[in-house]
Amino acid sequence: MRTLLVRVAAGLTLALISPLVLANGWNMPIGVTALSREIHSLHMTIFWICVAIGVVVFGVMFYSLFRYRRSKGAEAANFHEHTGVEVLWTAVPLLILVAMAVPATATLKNMYDVSDAEIDVMVTGQQWRWRYEYLGEDIAFTSNMSTPREQISGEAEKTENYLLEVDEPLVLPVDTKVRLLLTADDVIHSWWVPELAVKQDAIPGFVNENWVRIEEPGIYRGQCTELCGMDHGFMPVVVEALEKDEYEAWLAERKEAAEQEAMGVDREWELAELMERGEQVYGSICASCHQADGSGSPPAFPALAGNTDMLDDVEWHIDTIINGVSGSAMPAFRSTLNPVEIAAVATYERNAWGNDAGDTVQPSEIVELLEE
Amino acid sequence: MWSVIKSVLAAFFGVQRDQQRREDFEHGKPVSFIIVGIAMAMLLVALVALIATLAAG
Repeated sequence: MRTLLVRVAAGLTLALISPLVLANGWNMPIGVTALSREIHSLHMTIFWICVAIGVVVFGVMFYSLFRYRRSKGAEAANFHEHTGVEVLWTAVPLLILVAMAVPATATLKNMYDVSDAEIDVMVTGQQWRWRYEYLGEDIAFTSNMSTPREQISGEAEKTENYLLEVDEPLVLPVDTKVRLLLTADDVIHSWWVPELAVKQDAIPGFVNENWVRIEEPGIYRGQCTELCGMDHGFMPVVVEALEKDEYEAWLAERKEAAEQEAMGVDREWELAELMERGEQVYGSICASCHQADGSGSPPAFPALAGNTDMLDDVEWHIDTIINGVSGSAMPAFRSTLNPVEIAAVATYERNAWGNDAGDTVQPSEIVELLEE
Repeated sequence: MWSVIKSVLAAFFGVQRDQQRREDFEHGKPVSFIIVGIAMAMLLVALVALIATLAAG
């Protein structure tokens, strides 16, 4: 009778728990790195230890409640202490904890070992986007959420990767140890990609390190996981892992594009091409606060449409973009945007939504201002 | 001295025999428990640090 009861209780518990554990989406992902698999198996080991403890403790408790119930005439024992039992129930958890600490510490040690990395990427959190800088490669770009605002406000159907898609993902090669150096410009953010088993705080004034060695090409998605302000939910992380040769090709392409952009600084730009470029930049950088139609959200985020301060004083306008407004939510875009982007977005703001300044801001002017 | 060390070890572990506790309160002086307690706490810290260094090395 006794053993039967225990067996039924244990069986029921396992039957209840195991589908939850194994069901996709309920458990943490196994991931695509050796480290993520190690973390997953550690997590499962400790989970099953907890299950075993739970079954034993609750099994003994419920069995005792049932077997020694008062209606069967059970008498309560009345003793004060028992050194042997006390030693046992202190020593057993101690041994279990040590048994869990040994593999956990080994995994932690592995997680913090950033030596021998082949690529260094600086990851900077900003309200509300990520900036990636490939150290030693002269490549840097910001990664903005690309989910349209209409989907967020419910005016359009939500697509598959709603809030988990960006304009430019972090591109990394597979089978290569990549060191991530994480920091932030404004407040604390946290860079999290479950499939890569990386979740690391990005803190202003600190540089945290982590590393990843992806084994399968693919697109891996994550989010900022430290509440960082109004658009905390709108700064996803997307990592695209490519085969090594594809990565080299991507790198070469990016470098060429950067050179093209650098050459574009010297020439005279037409109003139309500045407007086109400016609309892209505005959509990914400015629209989250100043709105796609330039109406802003006064008083925190002033309207840009019909803003006479801005239209009458082009120098103040450009200075605001480059240096921000201290004490307000307007950040400095000096290091986030390149001269072409700053010139284009300024031109766009001066000539969109009924604004009719009619002037262009040339990239060459911005270069001069940035050099001052 | 040995009984003081045993009592401090028992306190670290969290379990003490009732008989030993009575003896400590009858014969022991507080200052000896305090000194041995601090010394052994430092030993424990040193031991943990040593294990951590070995594990990291």
